[in-house]
Amino acid sequence: MPPPAAPMRALLNALPKAPVRSCQRLMSTSRRPTSPSVTKAQQAQPLQPFTQRRFKFKTVEEAKSRYRSGPFSWKAGLLFVGTGAGLLWYFEFEKGRMQRKRIADAAKGVGRPKVGGPFELIDQNGKTVTDADLKGRYSLVYFGFSHCPDICPEELDKMARMYDLVQAERPGVMLPVFVTCDPARDTPAVLKEYLSEFHPDFIGLTGTYDQVKAMCKAYRVYFSTPTEVKPGQDYLVDHSIYFYLMDPEGDFVEALGRQHSPDQAAKVILDHMKDWKGPLRIAR
Amino acid sequence: MGLFGIFSSGSDEGDKRAQEVRTGAVAPLRAERQKCWEARDGYFACLDANGIVDALKDEKKAAKACKSEAADFERDCAAQWVTYFKKWRVQDIQKKARLKELEAQGANKMDISTDFTERK
Repeated sequence: MPPPAAPMRALLNALPKAPVRSCQRLMSTSRRPTSPSVTKAQQAQPLQPFTQRRFKFKTVEEAKSRYRSGPFSWKAGLLFVGTGAGLLWYFEFEKGRMQRKRIADAAKGVGRPKVGGPFELIDQNGKTVTDADLKGRYSLVYFGFSHCPDICPEELDKMARMYDLVQAERPGVMLPVFVTCDPARDTPAVLKEYLSEFHPDFIGLTGTYDQVKAMCKAYRVYFSTPTEVKPGQDYLVDHSIYFYLMDPEGDFVEALGRQHSPDQAAKVILDHMKDWKGPLRIAR
Repeated sequence: MGLFGIFSSGSDEGDKRAQEVRTGAVAPLRAERQKCWEARDGYFACLDANGIVDALKDEKKAAKACKSEAADFERDCAAQWVTYFKKWRVQDIQKKARLKELEAQGANKMDISTDFTERK
């Protein structure tokens, strides 16, 4: 409604000017005798922006509606919800990151139980592999034996799925390692045949009984081969059934167990990889 | 000889391999494990049907009730595995009973599964 708006605005503009002007005159007269030029300059444009900001509505209806709804408009609501959601996401993200950092750092530094360490074993192709060969990449280490009746083959299938999931997102950043607890029977040739059925990328490690024992001790893996086994006699080996996630410096990060599905385990591994700031030696 | 010779030598090989698997001379491969697990499940189903928990303790009863299943089980699995699975069955049944008991008492269940079924 333009016609009533124009006189209205003129009225409103004029309204606050009068008291301001008289106030100024009062102040200036009390200080010193006025010089008319100064007062004129002050009168020319006193507090013009203030009046414009205060009455920014074109109509009274607009002002009234604004007054009724208060400061809550759909824009304000959207901003509120957006900010809240953003903060919530950020806090959750940071919380998860700190939790992972705590787990990863628990095995680092002085005075921590050391899992992992130097070893020297041979892989399924007869090549010597040491701890230095695993550095620069994450490694997922699993202990087992080829004559294992149920758990190891299941877990190795799981490990293959886990490895594929990790490989899909971060190719070449993790090495899947299988260490036998039964070096007497699991020669490189046996491991080669056994592991080829699970994943072509698996690295199978074996060695002398003492080498394997040292490896298991370093990784705090329990295993027991029955004593007094006659040559050619069949036996089973009792052993721990965790996947050990080791970081690129060869430090233990986290143990993944039977309670993790391959997807859950892959997520845990990928999240740790995201947190890693150190150098990586990516294969292939 | 000829074609017949090849066939007979092939089945001899298979017998030899099966024999080696049974005695534990070689580690069973995927197909052999699968076959063994199937035979095991068949045997356990028979034990369930006959209400036998410990096949080692109730040996005579189990042998009488599940004669053919037992023969399959022993044919397809390494001897060590047969014993292991029989022991495992007793423990598993005890564990399930204990869990049921605890659940009845209002214990919280944690997501840990140790059965043979694959989880996604």
